[in-house]
Amino acid sequence: MYLLNDILRKFSVCVIMAIAMALPVAAAASTNTENSGAAINPKEIIFEHLGDGYGWEVPFNHHMRMPLPVIVWGKDGLHCFMSSKIDHGQTYTDGSATFKIAGKDSPYKGKIVEIIDGKEYKPWDFSITKNVCALFITVILVILSIMSVARWHRRMGHKAPRKFVGALESLITFIYDGVIKPTLGAKALKFAPYLLTVFFFILYMNLLGLIVVFPGGANLTGNIAVTLVLALITFFITNFMGTKHYWKEVLWPDVPMWLKFPLPIMPVIEIFGVFTKPAALTVRLFANMMGGHMIVLVLTLLIFIFGAMGAAVAGATSVVSVCFSVFMLLIDVLVSFIQAYVFTMLSTLFIAFGQEDGHAHDKHGNTPLTEIEQK
Amino acid sequence: MELFTPDFGLIFWMFVAFAILFFVLYKWGWPAIMKGVESRADLIDKGVEYAQNAKEQLDHAREQADTTLAEARKQQADMLREAERMKTQIIEEARDAARKEAAKVMDAAKVSIAQERKEAEKQFRNEVSAFALDIAAKVVRDELADKKQQQKLVDSLIGDMEKQN
Repeated sequence: MYLLNDILRKFSVCVIMAIAMALPVAAAASTNTENSGAAINPKEIIFEHLGDGYGWEVPFNHHMRMPLPVIVWGKDGLHCFMSSKIDHGQTYTDGSATFKIAGKDSPYKGKIVEIIDGKEYKPWDFSITKNVCALFITVILVILSIMSVARWHRRMGHKAPRKFVGALESLITFIYDGVIKPTLGAKALKFAPYLLTVFFFILYMNLLGLIVVFPGGANLTGNIAVTLVLALITFFITNFMGTKHYWKEVLWPDVPMWLKFPLPIMPVIEIFGVFTKPAALTVRLFANMMGGHMIVLVLTLLIFIFGAMGAAVAGATSVVSVCFSVFMLLIDVLVSFIQAYVFTMLSTLFIAFGQEDGHAHDKHGNTPLTEIEQK
Repeated sequence: MELFTPDFGLIFWMFVAFAILFFVLYKWGWPAIMKGVESRADLIDKGVEYAQNAKEQLDHAREQADTTLAEARKQQADMLREAERMKTQIIEEARDAARKEAAKVMDAAKVSIAQERKEAEKQFRNEVSAFALDIAAKVVRDELADKKQQQKLVDSLIGDMEKQN
């Protein structure tokens, strides 16, 4: 009975806090609507939040952004300036080149463009955008966290770590002993640095993406460029460090002759598989994280869409939406971990395919996985 | 859709950032952790083994102590019983010895009493005989003039008396 009361009290506190948090957002949104003088455009808001930007939003303010450095290689060389110079569609002339952020009608919508004779050209864009900045923050956080564990091992020797270091270490051993070692066996130590780095990098990016304000809020793993790079690295490691047996399995697999001789059906499928694996890695992480962010955004936007129908409806929707988005965010915390885990697990598996030696495979028809497990 | 077209800049920075991250962790992060975790696991394994051995030894020692204690108890009981037995034996022996001694003393006393009585008898007889002789001499002196005949008579008389005794 006491427990139930406790839960109820905590729940009501949560709801009150959620409403309190929703109020300023609602106020900000209403001022925004007044300023633009039009109904809100959910699609635009969602894509703005999911996408990248040249500045970093400040909470409760739609006009100010934290300026970030813009680095572009235009027609006449390198230009560096702060993003505040090109806020709100302003043009900025740096030396002989003029830059602005392309408008809604441009094919380069939202990206920086160089204006030459009234025409828009896309320069090489190395800007430290919101996502790049978040990337650096993540790198620093991951290095600090992992180094704290390494420092513990260097300084404290065999003492048991506690608190943050202990939690991280249990996570490291969870991935290493639970995923990498059973799959890669004797070669675990060789690939563990890459796989563990990938796991923590993705986990931190995912979790930082769920934090709404400054150090987080960038939809990094929901950006296809980030997941593509990670999948590409796994792809390179799998194929460039692959054994002779792996390439034989790809090009001349162990199947009946008619499946590969006149028409190379199996080799084509296998080669296709070599490229679908990283593609699957890319899309899985990207779609999961982007989907999570999108659902939370949509649930929040429901408040403003229903807000047009009057105060009572808006209030009711606020409570429901906030409850749902809190629930979704909690699920996203879980998904953040699961997706980092899945990416690491699949990378491990793909790398393990590339490391097959084959003797057990040929004789007994076992996969090397079971062979490793038997060892 | 812009969501599905990767940005060149982000790809570039992602490669750079990941390379830095990987290099730093590969160089100073993971090896220390892996080695540390492994050696700690070894230490714990060793510790567990040591503890098991120690427990076994302790159990063994306890068993030994128990048996020793039981043995000691038994010995103590034996010794007590032995002591009891010896005590009664000694008392018995002492009593025997005392009895014997007493008997010896009594015998000696008897012998000495008998001897003394004999001696006393002898003395008494001598005295009596001397006395009787005196009396007889006194009596006979008058009757017997001849000393030789007198002595013969007296001797035969005394011999008769002894035979009668």
